[in-house]
Amino acid sequence: MPFSARKRTVLVMFAVVAAFFAGGSLVPNFLKPANLLNVIRQCSIIVICAVGIAPVIITRGIDLSVGGNVTFCGMLTGFLLLRGVPIVLAILAALAAGILIGLISGALNAYLEVPAFVATLVIGQITQGSAFLLNNGRSFGGFPNAYVFLGNGSFLGIPMSNYIMVLFVALGIVLTSKLPIGTRIYGLGGNAQVLKNAGVNTAKIKLFVFAFSGFCASAAGVLLAAQLDTAHPTQGEPYQLDAIASCIIGGVSMSGGEGKIILVMLGALIIGSIRNILNLLAVHSFYQNILVGVIIITVVAISMMTRDKRAYRTAQFAQVKS
Amino acid sequence: MQRTDKVKHTSSQQSLPVRFVKQYGSVVVFFILFIFSSLFIDRFFSVRNVLTIIKQAAVTVVACMGMMLILTTGGIDLSLGYTLGLCSIFLGILSIKLGLPAWQAVLLTLVLGALVGMLNGVIIQFLRVPPFIATLGVGYVLFGIAQIFGKGDAYYPLPDDLLALGMSRPLNGLYSILPKALQENDTIQQVSRLPSYVFIALFVLILIYILRHKTTYGRQLSAFGFNRATAKLSGINTARLHVMTYMISSTLVALASVMLTIRVNCAQSNLGGSNYTFEIVTAAVVGGTSLFGGISNVISCLFGCLITKSLENIVNLMAVNIYLYQPMMGLIILLAIVFEVYKNRKL
Repeated sequence: MPFSARKRTVLVMFAVVAAFFAGGSLVPNFLKPANLLNVIRQCSIIVICAVGIAPVIITRGIDLSVGGNVTFCGMLTGFLLLRGVPIVLAILAALAAGILIGLISGALNAYLEVPAFVATLVIGQITQGSAFLLNNGRSFGGFPNAYVFLGNGSFLGIPMSNYIMVLFVALGIVLTSKLPIGTRIYGLGGNAQVLKNAGVNTAKIKLFVFAFSGFCASAAGVLLAAQLDTAHPTQGEPYQLDAIASCIIGGVSMSGGEGKIILVMLGALIIGSIRNILNLLAVHSFYQNILVGVIIITVVAISMMTRDKRAYRTAQFAQVKS
Repeated sequence: MQRTDKVKHTSSQQSLPVRFVKQYGSVVVFFILFIFSSLFIDRFFSVRNVLTIIKQAAVTVVACMGMMLILTTGGIDLSLGYTLGLCSIFLGILSIKLGLPAWQAVLLTLVLGALVGMLNGVIIQFLRVPPFIATLGVGYVLFGIAQIFGKGDAYYPLPDDLLALGMSRPLNGLYSILPKALQENDTIQQVSRLPSYVFIALFVLILIYILRHKTTYGRQLSAFGFNRATAKLSGINTARLHVMTYMISSTLVALASVMLTIRVNCAQSNLGGSNYTFEIVTAAVVGGTSLFGGISNVISCLFGCLITKSLENIVNLMAVNIYLYQPMMGLIILLAIVFEVYKNRKL
């Protein structure tokens, strides 16, 4: 690992410890295992969203439709469940919807060359608006017990959500470091032109990462609706900012090519814990958003200022738009 | 025969109608939309309705001019909606709680806008943070600050001198000296009742037109948007240009906020929001502004705003399910963006 990346890992670990230490001292019983498991349960949504968005950012893209997808897929699940569709089918339908939405964003970006942030911003607006349409602005509630168990139940003392979260993190790690697609994702982010010259179909990689992001966002939406036993047309909104913040804290560079899923998970846990602690201290969510906004800007600014200037300039020079 | 021979690259090779549509596409689309709506939708083609569209577009035009300038540099301002809310509540506090005279309150609000723009510009230019991250982060911070300052209150009604700035009727004097026969004409009556903020928007429009198309700054802006490195090598002070653009834009947003606050006669921190930002970006893109930077046109943007507001008006008139509006607008924007990207990519 190059020196700066090792520094980054150390800093993230330090931040995790600091966050938990702060929590432990400010909130009684915070460090009890039962509470920590619960905090992680709440963070699991952010973790899943962040694991999904990380490959997109690594390929130098961005996915601003995460909030809309989480909301829409949660609402879709609720919509189907309350019409008597079996739980498994409803969840599969929501996941399929998420993949489809991701594929549309990916196609816009890869084949029509619409910039990623515009394509996903618009798709996000469409899905968010459609979420309102599903029940005329009202929310769904009262889901079957088996479904709610996914979000709130425990198995062997650990909440189900945590297992699901670990599953997605494992999936993300396998994808980015054990499968060939992972190397191509990092390659696309590092130098897209070289990849194209080598004959790799970069469009398919982009389709894949956006579809994966949509899949994770939809899974997060399904899980969130299960946790809350409610599907409300705005419940996915905060996860957009938190997912991006988690990736940034976890060392994913906005100029692509770097970042590790495990650190992204830690970043998500940090953000989630901060929010949890601040909630318990009755700090209004507006202040929390200010903090997250400041964190994002600070971390990105620091990473921009401390990057290896020569390597960056070479990489920038090589990024020829065809 | 090479494939490239069939593609006409330079504008002189393309015929006049093609060039006109490429540059002023939104004008054409607007008139087609207008004609179709007048024919098929009841109550669309009335003086009252057309003037309503113009009045609603006035605020959008001012904000869109700012967004257009930023898009021309290849960046974006995702803090627009939140700046709107912050300036609104700031205006409310200054004029109601602190009791400042209207012109002082408005001036200070514009200064706040300039400061926000400077913050955005400095973070983007000197800290090298990508624009959408920087403005997104700053936007959230501004939203939080607006909520803290406002404490969730909404300030209404606004003092009379402030309302007079935006809602007075400048054409009234002209109207009163008209001969009686003309005075009874309904159209002339309604036109004479146009509030002053429409004229402020018109003034801004002319100002930005001159700025963008007739000054060196406008030229340099285009050059900067097309290729930052060569612009710098040509001797343009890119740092100053970049930061100044964000400052100008946010000042315009502050002005739009003042206009909107006066129009709804209520200062609240929720004014605008992320939906508004999206609406303005839509208007700019439908108005032919390239998302890659370098290409933008003031007249085209004006008609982009008119198209957006006309669509909103049509949806209202047709009493479509209100929740259908957002996804529908999203689809339309998507089409516009795909079209614009396809058009500009050929350059």
